[in-house]
Amino acid sequence: MRTGKISRRKFLGVARSAAIAGIVAAGIVGGIAGYVGGSSAAPPRTVTTTTTVAGAAQTVTETRTVTQTVTGAAEPLKVGYVYIGPVGDYGWSYGHDRGRRWADEHFGLPVKSFYRESVPEAEVGSAIETLIDEGAKLIFTTSFGYMDATAEYAAKYPDRYFVHISGYRSGAAGNAPENMSAAFAEFYQLYYLNGLAAGAVTETGVIGYVGAYPIPEVVRHINAFVLGANYAYKKRTGKNIKAHVTWIFSWVAPDEARKAAIALFEEKNCDVIAFTEDTPSVLQVAEEYWKKGRKVWSFSHYSDMREYGPNAHLTGQIANWGPIYLDFYRMVATNSWISVDIWARIGDYTPYRWRRPVEQSTAGQPEGAVYLAPLNPVIPSEWQMLIKQKYEEMKELLFEPFSVEGNLGEPIKDQNGEVRIKAGERADHDMLWNMDWLVEYIEEPLPKA
Amino acid sequence: MSLKIETRFGRIRVERRVGYGRLYSISMTLLSLALAFLVVALILASLGLDPVKAFQVIFGVFMKPSLLLESIKQSIPICLAALGLSIAFKMNFWNIGAEGQIYMGMIASTGIVLLHAYYGFFHEWMVMPLMFLASFLLGGAWCLIPGALKARLGVNEILPTLMLNYVAILIVDFLVHGPWRDPKGYGFPLSIPFPEYTKLNIVLGEPAYTGLLFSILGAAAVFFLLEYTKLGFEIKVVGQSPAVARYAGIRVRSTILLGSFLAGGLAGIGGLSIVSGIIGRLRPGASPGYGYTAIIVAALAGLNPWVTVAVSIFFGGLITAGGALQMSMGIPKAAAQMIQAVIFLMILVGEFIKRYRIVIERPGASER
Repeated sequence: MRTGKISRRKFLGVARSAAIAGIVAAGIVGGIAGYVGGSSAAPPRTVTTTTTVAGAAQTVTETRTVTQTVTGAAEPLKVGYVYIGPVGDYGWSYGHDRGRRWADEHFGLPVKSFYRESVPEAEVGSAIETLIDEGAKLIFTTSFGYMDATAEYAAKYPDRYFVHISGYRSGAAGNAPENMSAAFAEFYQLYYLNGLAAGAVTETGVIGYVGAYPIPEVVRHINAFVLGANYAYKKRTGKNIKAHVTWIFSWVAPDEARKAAIALFEEKNCDVIAFTEDTPSVLQVAEEYWKKGRKVWSFSHYSDMREYGPNAHLTGQIANWGPIYLDFYRMVATNSWISVDIWARIGDYTPYRWRRPVEQSTAGQPEGAVYLAPLNPVIPSEWQMLIKQKYEEMKELLFEPFSVEGNLGEPIKDQNGEVRIKAGERADHDMLWNMDWLVEYIEEPLPKA
Repeated sequence: MSLKIETRFGRIRVERRVGYGRLYSISMTLLSLALAFLVVALILASLGLDPVKAFQVIFGVFMKPSLLLESIKQSIPICLAALGLSIAFKMNFWNIGAEGQIYMGMIASTGIVLLHAYYGFFHEWMVMPLMFLASFLLGGAWCLIPGALKARLGVNEILPTLMLNYVAILIVDFLVHGPWRDPKGYGFPLSIPFPEYTKLNIVLGEPAYTGLLFSILGAAAVFFLLEYTKLGFEIKVVGQSPAVARYAGIRVRSTILLGSFLAGGLAGIGGLSIVSGIIGRLRPGASPGYGYTAIIVAALAGLNPWVTVAVSIFFGGLITAGGALQMSMGIPKAAAQMIQAVIFLMILVGEFIKRYRIVIERPGASER
């Protein structure tokens, strides 16, 4: 039975609680006050448009409620970005931030962009709200895990525009509101070219891959890399390439990537390793082996990483998100938004789309949204020529890695020996997006539950 | 708590303050807050930023409805887990495993959704209550493991609770990479999106309001448990002194089992609030360490359930404010987190100094 008496200690506890609660309560009361004040301060704009139709002596008056502000010269376009990692990661988020600055620079009209870095997936909602609060008209969410939240906030804020990177939901695809687009810089063609370079230099005939997650995006990159390597190696030696894959189950895990790379170099005798991990760790490991007198190679991933492995850098895949972003800036600034689902490949977003003769090839130079990192002169010149030729052909989609042409005329088989791509066939969108098999030259099976 | 450190200059002793006034209590809290903001201002100034503008941004979060709602949404899992922790900590059960219990709660609620969506079990209206029940049971069961180890074998709970976090996180990874992977999700490690009627938005269609209601209900339940029930009394006695509890005829083992189960169960419901209220499906890394944040919240709130609700909203606000600072001031995330950390640290130290006094005994002064 409880008596009505309150002990002194308990009273003090309540007093202290009251102090903390008071501070927070003040915030909440202020918030509610702000809500009442804020909602009355921003009435929707009513715009009356009068259109006079020539010929017919008739005037059509149309009154609409427009919630978008017209971008004038004085009012900069405000663009917000959400990044999954720190901008200093030198990989994925760094690449997006570089793209943001590129787009700002090339826009030509006043623009103000801002970003939030290292946003966990559960906190993307709060990130989007703060971006909108800051006045962002256009919002880029740059991690797969942000997809659902982006669609949710696109529905909540129909007067803002949203672009989600690396997902499959957009108004265009019919599974998100119309003010949401999807975009991605796709690397499988470049991974195939990396593979050609790997097959051209490998001494051991064994190559490796440090993979992030066994999802279709990474699987098709591995397959493309191994197909390219087999093409070059088999043409050189008549033997099939041997490939090993190690999964680290993370996008950013420099330590895991390091350990995986060392194991591949030491235990599997690989001398070229490609990777999907957002730091230059694998390339750095390769460079350390050069210092110990062993010639092994790796690649750039998302940004030019040559400085991390001056000797070990073979070539690589680089993305410039800038042109993709700029396209959306322009759409929003000119009120010409169309929801799109963009897959930028070689040749996209380039001013000169035609393939060039091999001697004038732009392979290894910055162009468009995705391009090849500079080619290491250690790659024999006939293979450099082939890489450049394929690069140019892929600008016009004349060559497709996932076809028999990409596999020395042989059908492409998976690890069980099942033919996946026959003569005359090419991988289409759904095969690339759902790829859940590895090509026959890979030793380890795909982890499956 | 009594701590004694022998030094060259004498003995440093920490002792509990026996009585202090309300005015003292409030002014200490205000002083530590003022000190916190002073230190933050110094840090900002050293970064070449305007502290006044930064404080406007931080307080702006609590003034703007959209940001405040987001802050409340962020606070729900933290609050529920912290409420569970206040039971555990009252019992002197140092549960570092709220994170894992949150993950188990997410697994349980997703499991119910999948049973319904894949196999057509249950009526639509039954799904939500079952999700609550299942997440409570599984979260509780997860905390019961270290609880049982402590009660039966006397194993210290700190390591098992901490290590079970990693196990729970890996189970989620396994499920979403394997059997629970969305067949239409292009192979990404995600469960199917939750149907609308399994979303935590029954109050005004807004997860923040709904979650706030559940936080308050949770706080009321914990308050009632600790203040008005026999079990609550037993939990507190076991926490103060197991020997006394045993002497008084309290069944210490069952109290530890029950208390740890309730603590884990609340964290499990916190997990439900993440998948059903914030994300809308199960994915790896769904909780960015809310279970650990809950430990700080429970400590700051002095294990008082009502204060826990307020403090977790304050924390949710600081998470949002950290982001707002990044954008409007262009400061890096690390600096924003440093600002948050300084504020927490100052409040924690303030609370400590409020409750304890530090006595330095010079040799030859009192002891001899």
